[in-house]
Amino acid sequence: MPHHEFECSKVIPERKDHVVIKGKGEDLTSCLPKGYLNTIPGSISERGCAYCGAKHVIGTPMKDVIHISHGPVGCTYDTWQTKRYISDNDNFQLKYTFATDVKEKHIVFGAEKLLKQNIKEAFKAFPAIKRMTIYQTCATALIGDDVNAIAEEVMAEMPEVDIFVCNSPGFAGPSQSGGHHKINIAWINQKVGTLEPKITSDHVINYVGEYNIQGDQEVMTDYFKRMGIQVLSTFTGNGSYDDLRGMHRAQLNVLECARSAEYICDELRERYGIPRLDIDGFGFKALSDSLRKIGLFFGIEDRAEAIIAEETARWQPELDWYKARLQGKKVCLWPGGSKLWHWAHAIQEEMGVKVVSVYTKFGHQGDMEKGISRCGEGALAIDDPNELEGLEALEMLKPDVIFTGKRPGEMAKKTGVPYLNAHAYHNGPYKGFEGWVRFARDIYNAIYSPIHQLASLDISKDEIPTDRGFVTRRMLSDKNLPPEIALSTEMSPYTGKFDSVSPLRDKAYPAFPREADQVAAMAQETATAVAE
Amino acid sequence: MSVATAKKPSVSQRKYVPIYQSNPLADYDPVIRERVGQMENYIMKHCLWQFNSRGWDRRKQNAGILGKTTQLLCGETVDTSTPQEKCYWVDAVCLDRAYRASFPWVSTLSKDEIKETMKALHARLDWLTIDGSLNLELTVQNY
Repeated sequence: MPHHEFECSKVIPERKDHVVIKGKGEDLTSCLPKGYLNTIPGSISERGCAYCGAKHVIGTPMKDVIHISHGPVGCTYDTWQTKRYISDNDNFQLKYTFATDVKEKHIVFGAEKLLKQNIKEAFKAFPAIKRMTIYQTCATALIGDDVNAIAEEVMAEMPEVDIFVCNSPGFAGPSQSGGHHKINIAWINQKVGTLEPKITSDHVINYVGEYNIQGDQEVMTDYFKRMGIQVLSTFTGNGSYDDLRGMHRAQLNVLECARSAEYICDELRERYGIPRLDIDGFGFKALSDSLRKIGLFFGIEDRAEAIIAEETARWQPELDWYKARLQGKKVCLWPGGSKLWHWAHAIQEEMGVKVVSVYTKFGHQGDMEKGISRCGEGALAIDDPNELEGLEALEMLKPDVIFTGKRPGEMAKKTGVPYLNAHAYHNGPYKGFEGWVRFARDIYNAIYSPIHQLASLDISKDEIPTDRGFVTRRMLSDKNLPPEIALSTEMSPYTGKFDSVSPLRDKAYPAFPREADQVAAMAQETATAVAE
Repeated sequence: MSVATAKKPSVSQRKYVPIYQSNPLADYDPVIRERVGQMENYIMKHCLWQFNSRGWDRRKQNAGILGKTTQLLCGETVDTSTPQEKCYWVDAVCLDRAYRASFPWVSTLSKDEIKETMKALHARLDWLTIDGSLNLELTVQNY
């Protein structure tokens, strides 16, 4: 096994099992770090807790819901608004956060009364909202508050409301991934099958593991609607609580982030016979294949092909412009979980960069299997890294850019390495054909920002050149390009709008008659003809 | 109260049953090994279906999709009678097209040669993703 031991982690020898370098001829039977284990004491992990994984990642993107944390206010504050999962109802779920504000006295005397009072107050404050999710936290789990019982009491007193209880306190798993698991299973156990949805198409899917980061879900849903597909529910970005109660009536579960939501797909397959189709909304080829597969499943591949042709013709020249300027740039792909495999191959193939390292904060070994498979030789793969390891890896690999979260990202910036926000994006959405170009543009802007030349100078000791003027990104990126590329009129940088999502909300879609309606119409025609 | 009928999961069917003790590709001749290597690389770089989280699922996925891909490559009829079979078929169609487009040697093979190559690929993928895998979660019985 090609393990790698960081100098900074020699005092924590167990860490060696969590780091590998993919060598020549290595495959998954010889090169895979350990994963999804409790963080080793002494290693200052970058992970979140199981409560955060349940509430912040999966629960809260649901848009028409009061999301309330039963616990200290800090738990709620720290999971509020730090991820840009927007919604088409004026971002209700981002604007407001709710907590029962548990204090020491409640730990001593119990907080159930406090919870009930808070639930009622919240519904009263927002009378238009009739749905609620409640999240258990460490403090209230440890004192044994029965959140389910209180929720039942309130639902009995207020029959117009519906409440979902997520019992995933912070300690309920090694990382946020434990919370993803718990809320998946809790949702299917408590809510799926409790409401019959209205079916409006012959082709019906659940879109699962999609969180509408800066509008990703709305971009993908646009494609589905153009294909005449009904998106019965989205689990959970821009998703509606009641739509998600009707998940059992879909014909196909289309799964994006398997890390956070494969559990509910697998259970829907077992319990309701709905198959799971893993797709990938990032990258022209992966996205094209994904639309094609959904089209094939429903016998409407021609509709998928029409979209692929139109979108590729529109956006390929712009992607190519960035690819020409990003060739060989070294990337540390250090996201939380699934993006290490969503992006690893696609950014190398379609943007020309080289992934020199992948890491995952909360991924499982399955995520590393996918990520390592999609990387080339020499890639450094790290599970549950700590900050010192991150710094050492940056020093060792000297990447041109790093894709990661805000905390390690800011740390990387201090070392002179530009970073892009892999979780919440910089200028997303990044899904879809246009989104993929927006991602390429953000990478380009990060790498070639002139600020790095200025920021790398230390005014306390470096000589400040006064004989050079300010340079632009273009001057830096095109310096060594052949003229036929630099001056090409066939390629161009991004020409889309600042906001590529809002216009989708008012878009009209073609009507695709349902088979039953067509049969009825034909029968009517025949009957009329016979009568005549 | 649930209004839909849900089947109860059967955990007893989720037991991991090993098949290969070592890399099955080692027994094949170099030409097949080379071809399988190319096909395997395509799957690993572009597909996700081989990485379901549990071993018994991976076994079904590999058999379902590679089985149907073999039938498509051989021009045989493929069963799409259930939603699950159709879902396997969808991935198989994409793989069939990609193999034909990426590997010109595919069209030079007889049906028997295709079947032998795909059998080796199936064995290799089972080894990589299940029996030889270092992933400790494959034997977990719950999702």
